[in-house]
Amino acid sequence: MTAVLIDKPPTARPAPAGKRARWRRAVPGYVMLLPFAGLFVGFLVWPLLNALYFAFTDFNGVRPPSWVGLENFGRLWFEDQRFRTALVNSVIYVACTVTLTTAAALALALAFRGTSWRDRVMRTIFFLPSVTSTIAVMLIWRWIFSGERFGLANTVLARFGADPVSWLSTPRWTIPLLVLMAVWGGCGYGMVIFVSGLNAIPEELYEAGRLDGANAWQQFRYLTLPQLKPVTTYVVITGLIGAFQVFEAVYIVFRAVSSVGGVQDSGLMLVPYLYDMGFTKFQLGYASAIAWTLFLIIFVISMIQLRVTRALREL
Amino acid sequence: MTRLRGELIRLPLYLAGLTMLVPFYWMASAAFKPVPELTRNPPSFVPGDPTLDAFYEPDWDPAVRADQVVAGLFQRYPDVPGGFLRFMGNSLFVAATITVLSLLIAALAAYALTKMDLPGRRVIFVVVVASMMIPWQVTLVPNYLIVRNLEWLNSYPGYIVPALAKAFVVFFLVQYMRSIPDDLVHAARVDGAGEFRIWWRVIMPLMRPALAAMAIFVVLAEWNNFLWPLIIVQDDTMANVPVALSRLNASNAFNPHNMAVIMAASLLTSLPTVIVFLAFQKHFTRGIALSGIKG
Repeated sequence: MTAVLIDKPPTARPAPAGKRARWRRAVPGYVMLLPFAGLFVGFLVWPLLNALYFAFTDFNGVRPPSWVGLENFGRLWFEDQRFRTALVNSVIYVACTVTLTTAAALALALAFRGTSWRDRVMRTIFFLPSVTSTIAVMLIWRWIFSGERFGLANTVLARFGADPVSWLSTPRWTIPLLVLMAVWGGCGYGMVIFVSGLNAIPEELYEAGRLDGANAWQQFRYLTLPQLKPVTTYVVITGLIGAFQVFEAVYIVFRAVSSVGGVQDSGLMLVPYLYDMGFTKFQLGYASAIAWTLFLIIFVISMIQLRVTRALREL
Repeated sequence: MTRLRGELIRLPLYLAGLTMLVPFYWMASAAFKPVPELTRNPPSFVPGDPTLDAFYEPDWDPAVRADQVVAGLFQRYPDVPGGFLRFMGNSLFVAATITVLSLLIAALAAYALTKMDLPGRRVIFVVVVASMMIPWQVTLVPNYLIVRNLEWLNSYPGYIVPALAKAFVVFFLVQYMRSIPDDLVHAARVDGAGEFRIWWRVIMPLMRPALAAMAIFVVLAEWNNFLWPLIIVQDDTMANVPVALSRLNASNAFNPHNMAVIMAASLLTSLPTVIVFLAFQKHFTRGIALSGIKG
């Protein structure tokens, strides 16, 4: 999350007038805010509070919710084996995805940061997955990793004389494949942000560095990386938040016959579990507890980001 | 020499770029392969005998349910008037409406927050920014219930209304609007223009680059939106393209003969977004850069 608040003093303030006059002048302003504010409260704030209330109830969407206190959270955090699977899967997936995506994005940005024809073409290629329909992309992956001999991955394996692998029904492969798809789909986005970060670094720094005899690696290590820190933090944090919310990849590629989370729940993560509980099993109270847990995780990450950026600014 | 070395270091990245394109190529080529070629082992990399059967199969006969001849994409959905085109129309209509309305609403709010002296605007802006870290899935269950109570399930308002308040767009437009000098607004006020007039005639034209960046953002996101439509759409007629695609996939998961049809549908889903992106690339990457760089 970006956190740039109003830092300029209030503008557009004419000669001091009475408090009442100020309020009267503000009326058109509130009218202009009204459509956004109404929708914001109606479909975000109010639902958020509702979700919090439902999280403490037993609710199936038909009978009115009945208050159960902390029971949902107790069951979720301390007893539910499927939730534990979802959480562990999420953490492993998020850690691998964010590390690899950020590293790939930075490498790509360093290699193709210019304005030349070649750089722009390469950037476009790496960015394409970010604009393609996720569902379409997932269907392609599903076919590439199809367990039959005509699946592309198995064809390549056969070239090297290996036996075909049933990728999608082997639990061991689920997370690595999801990470691969996420890195493929996400590195272009980070790359664009890194490119603009790189181009904001003043060239004089490098000139000074070269005068001091810094080689390419030293320039990267002692000039580029520190200068990129805020951008890197942003890429990592938004990456973390986005990765915790993964849904389509699990739902489309790995959904098994009986479960949303793939074979033996090997791909079950937080949002797929939320969907499974809420919209296939209709335990809406329990699903709300999952939703608020997701919120708490992302809240903690955002707070860490705020701390880190503040610390960086003081450096 | 250094030039050559640089290219050598980049070589793996060129190869990576090439492999990036493989899935796209695989999709496009599969959409034009005849059925026997799809399941051939090893697969062919260039369609040997390109065909449009995946889109429209002339030999398909609804009376005969043969496994060898499957219906083309545009022959499916007999109960949906327009078939697959209807889904593309749904997606287009919903994405366009949400984009126009949400940008207008957000631009109004951003104007009030930056160019007017509103008591409490700081607090409002902080709340809007803070809301950006709420994963929207948290509001999934209550919003589903709200839309159900309003009897908007399976309807365009159910798609559109909950998606109109976009905190991120307000945040982005506020950032951009700050760079527009307040003197312009003052001058217009002195000339006797009302606030709405200033907003529409003075500020909005100056906001064009920011609005363009956000428009592309929102259009692509809404065209590709999946989880919300998945929940509120019950009847095939109201499906958007991603939902239609996932249903097409679910109902044919175990029949490889349908793969060409699914790939053809994927191609038709992705092509518009790729074209929009290529046409407005500059705005789009600027939008990302501006939103990312101010961390």
